[in-house]
Amino acid sequence: MTGTRPSAALQAPADTRRIGRIRSETISTAAIFVLTIILIFASRFVSPALGSWDQVDTIITLASFLIVVAFGQGLVILVGGLDLSIASMITLGGVLSTTWNGSFGSEWALIPAVLVICACIGALNAVGVIWLNIPPFIITMAMGIIVASAALGYTSGTPRGAAPDAFLALMKGSIGGLSAVLIFVLVFALLAWTLQSATAFGRRLYAVGANREAARIAGIATWRPIMAAYALSAACAGFAGMMLVGYANGATLRMGDSYLLPSIASVVIGGSSILGGRGSFAGSVGGAILLTTLGTVIAALGMQQGWRTVIEGAIIVGALLLLREDLIVKLRSVR
Amino acid sequence: MSANLNAARVTAPGSNLAVVMRRVLTDGAGVVAILYVVLFALYALWDRSALTASGVTNLSNNAAPLALAAAGESLVVISKGFDLSVSGVVSLSNVLMATYPLEGPGGALVSLMICLAVGGAIGVINGVLVAILRLQSIAATLGTMIMGQGLALVIMDAPGGTVADWVSYTLTDVIFGVIPISGLIVLAVIALWLVFRRTDTCIGLFAVGADETAASLSGISVARARVTAFVGAGLLYGLAGFMLSAQTATGNPTAGTPFLMLTFAAVALGGVSLTGGRGSLVGAVIGAATLMLLQKVLFSGGVSSFYTGIFQGVVMVLAIIFGSLILRLASTGARA
Amino acid sequence: MSGAVCALDVRSVSKSYGATVALQDVSLELRAGEVHALLGENGAGKSTLVKVLSGVVKPNVGTMRIGGEPYEPHSIVDARRRAVATAFQELSLVPNLTVAQNLSLPQQAKGRLGLVSGAATQKRGAAILNRFGLPLSSSALVADLTLAERQRLEITRAFACDPKVLILDEPTAALAETDWLFGLVRQATAAGAAVLYISHRLAEVRELCQRATVLRNGRSIGTVGLQEVTDHNIFEMMVGRSQAEEMRRRATAGASTRAAVLEAEALVGGSLKNVSLKLREGEILGVAGLEGQGQRALFRALVGLAPLNSGSVKVDGAPVRLSGPDVALKTGRGIAFLPEERKTEGIFPALATATNIVLPVVGRIGRAGLVSERLERDAAAGSSSKVDLSSRYLDFRIGDLSGGNQQKALLARAMQTGARILLLYDPTRGVDVGTKQSIYAAIRSFAESGGAVLLYSSELPELVHLVDRCLVVYGGRILAEASGADINERTLVAALTGHAAHETAA
Repeated sequence: MTGTRPSAALQAPADTRRIGRIRSETISTAAIFVLTIILIFASRFVSPALGSWDQVDTIITLASFLIVVAFGQGLVILVGGLDLSIASMITLGGVLSTTWNGSFGSEWALIPAVLVICACIGALNAVGVIWLNIPPFIITMAMGIIVASAALGYTSGTPRGAAPDAFLALMKGSIGGLSAVLIFVLVFALLAWTLQSATAFGRRLYAVGANREAARIAGIATWRPIMAAYALSAACAGFAGMMLVGYANGATLRMGDSYLLPSIASVVIGGSSILGGRGSFAGSVGGAILLTTLGTVIAALGMQQGWRTVIEGAIIVGALLLLREDLIVKLRSVR
Repeated sequence: MSANLNAARVTAPGSNLAVVMRRVLTDGAGVVAILYVVLFALYALWDRSALTASGVTNLSNNAAPLALAAAGESLVVISKGFDLSVSGVVSLSNVLMATYPLEGPGGALVSLMICLAVGGAIGVINGVLVAILRLQSIAATLGTMIMGQGLALVIMDAPGGTVADWVSYTLTDVIFGVIPISGLIVLAVIALWLVFRRTDTCIGLFAVGADETAASLSGISVARARVTAFVGAGLLYGLAGFMLSAQTATGNPTAGTPFLMLTFAAVALGGVSLTGGRGSLVGAVIGAATLMLLQKVLFSGGVSSFYTGIFQGVVMVLAIIFGSLILRLASTGARA
Repeated sequence: MSGAVCALDVRSVSKSYGATVALQDVSLELRAGEVHALLGENGAGKSTLVKVLSGVVKPNVGTMRIGGEPYEPHSIVDARRRAVATAFQELSLVPNLTVAQNLSLPQQAKGRLGLVSGAATQKRGAAILNRFGLPLSSSALVADLTLAERQRLEITRAFACDPKVLILDEPTAALAETDWLFGLVRQATAAGAAVLYISHRLAEVRELCQRATVLRNGRSIGTVGLQEVTDHNIFEMMVGRSQAEEMRRRATAGASTRAAVLEAEALVGGSLKNVSLKLREGEILGVAGLEGQGQRALFRALVGLAPLNSGSVKVDGAPVRLSGPDVALKTGRGIAFLPEERKTEGIFPALATATNIVLPVVGRIGRAGLVSERLERDAAAGSSSKVDLSSRYLDFRIGDLSGGNQQKALLARAMQTGARILLLYDPTRGVDVGTKQSIYAAIRSFAESGGAVLLYSSELPELVHLVDRCLVVYGGRILAEASGADINERTLVAALTGHAAHETAA
């Protein structure tokens, strides 16, 4: 059957476009890691103590909390939301695990219990987003305030208790010469990346984040991936809180505050779209390490922490500008 | 051939009183105004001093900063956006007021100009990022909020400083013995809104919030409407920071943080639709006043200070749900 | 017709969006006092041309002149200043403003102190409504109007500025009858205006227009005088070859004895007033209707995307409550839905084509929930060959494919689900001719293998070609049902416009 062939320009130019095979995410993730390495080398000029292997180890340890939190935040952003409650969830994880340590029975019952509680609170966020049509940033902000206040009341202002041994071991111990945290970060990053990018669950997250209505039409029960994302985000934050108390051997009431904005920044500069539907955890890891390195350099330079906040904000805006959909489309069509 | 469209689609006018009644009940600002009156009556029954001049002044000073912030936010929300930079501007203004106190009425005027300039500048940046560079408003204003907050921390890293006496004494005072100046300032903003409401730009704001494409095809400049919204909002946030400084008389680099949540709760409670195109600045102001009054009621009720956060958060979520319920009621009521 | 005054002269206009060419070297000449039709299939470039002429987008190449002077509008307002007005297909009315306010946009009537005056705007609006015989209240909110009322308002707004060049894009899509509009058009042309009339409905076009320009794939194929060509000629220009053999009806195979797989009884909800239907195994049941007559609501209700006030649905004979597409997929032999707008409701542009295709069943293709792109590609191979989608495209981001290939992929997705009931809403919309044939073949073989298809198409020749039975929907009800020899364009068109479908086939 002969028909007129559509003009060549309207045909999919896919045959000739090799660049389509290389995902833009891979390029931006690689860029982040390159940038981080450059920064680490450059920091040697600031202070000789920086830029050494020990320092890299310290940086990864410091970044470990952010990496865990950024995974959860990344999932929520992937489905098109935003989780502003993670600061309070970090605090909650730390407070509960120290306050209940010893009186809960085995540590191996305590830790999952805390994680489940956090996950349930995350699920509540999801309920507000999915069924009450409350914008994500509002419901998570409100939940954060509620949980912070609850923690304040529960501890009467002074958290007590020691960190669970498991986390003390994780944060301070070493396995075969390498610090336990380093190994943990590697294993966690691998598992997290797999969950997001190589499972059916992950595929559904990407679909729901790209276009919730289209995902629904394609036969996905959209509430499930969304709820899972918020629950996981809260659980990750709770886990990071427990890591923090293991590192500092104790909880404080505002311990999570300094991780909220960096968690968003890590995800955004790691190449994920703030609108959802695009991104890879590998990028978020790179972003987390970059930001932690930046923070270390700023502290070493003796600059006020306020500048770190300013730079984070500028980085977010910069990343948003550079990673716009229309720019990416233009880049891809250059052929 | 006669048109077979039924001409009966014309909305029936009904009696004037019925129309007014229905409009008040289904208009978002009307409901929250009633809510405020009821709440105030309850509060007055409980605490007689609420009805005195000093009681009213107290309430007014308390509510003015949030009312102004919510007024600014409502402009952006009406045009279908979210402006998170409110807390950054308020913190920055407050910190500047406390770090560089300028005495006397002249000094106060200059301080006011500085606050407005800060807010306006951030508003312009927001406008450019969102309207011209086409970034999502949540993301762009998150960025500017962080930067504003960071700058505030750089200028003042811990609470301290003192606001100029003239500002903190006079602006929290009354005129003619009974009218609080803070209240007058809010009323002035409302008056400006009522004038602005009758300009093409404002109608353009509503149009863009409802349907950006249709608005653009109708000849409205979407970019100009959005930039106007952000700049107007920024100026009002600056004014809010100025009035907050008058009230607290001191500086705090995180003074703006509670504003983020409260502002959106006030806007939603005041009947401004979070999906754009509907609502009024007046509603947002009344919503703010209601929220602050509610907080006062809770405090007097003896709620343990540890747990106020829980009440705040819950009230805020309820405010938003309530606000959207009112809107849904309004739209079905209008069609009745 | 030498000596005719040229109102709008368009020369060699081209417009591209990135790599996609929407218009290529299009020329057009509108004469004063004429009604000039612009014809073409979906995706031919008509709406882009309308945007260029209206000042919404700027062409990359080409010139336009009005009355000999260069015409380079930067905006709608610019175009209006040059007396060019447009009634858009996607209505440009702002829903939360009143009729009067919309008529005055972007500048309302002013009163004292230069402030907007509601009363003056209302008066201005009422005067315009009066002038054009539109029985609406100028204080009514546009959101409260019916679709037909809104279309009339859109048209009125275009006429109200007394344009010299008037562009009407599908102005009768929601109108029940055309007399009002045609009267206005004739008045305008008698006064010397030029009208560019875009419509799918050849009958209307012949009644109103003198000449026609045909677009195909972004190019102008030619301009003809409507007296001198047949519909057949026009089809040929629009699709590129003789339609005669293609649009032959397929033979029906005694489908009335087969089991009913999907039954709807007295559905009421949204724009559905009362719809009942029975879809049988192995049958392709068509739905024909003008825009906005309830067909969209019907499809969405049958897959659970729209709530029903009353009525019942049965799948494989058992009553069901379809609460969403995910439930519909698992109900009975499975219902899969191909939505109207592939860009906004169908594809996930950043994901690979294979990922898009297997998405509804992605949990089943790997072990322990793990998937990889290779697994997805292997799983999608079967359905993609059914729709004649080259396996080469499975690895690419679906957003990079042409519209036709994207549509094939979406159809493959519907088939991948294993559902034996397909609800296809305008599956060949905006798709090139070669792809249409592939899609027809896929639908036919699906039905031949025992699948049931409910098919809506805005193109009557397509329905005539594919379906065993055809329902005509009008005003939220099934107005008529055609089968056998009754399925031809003439009968269907008569039914579509609301007349009783009792004409004998020619």
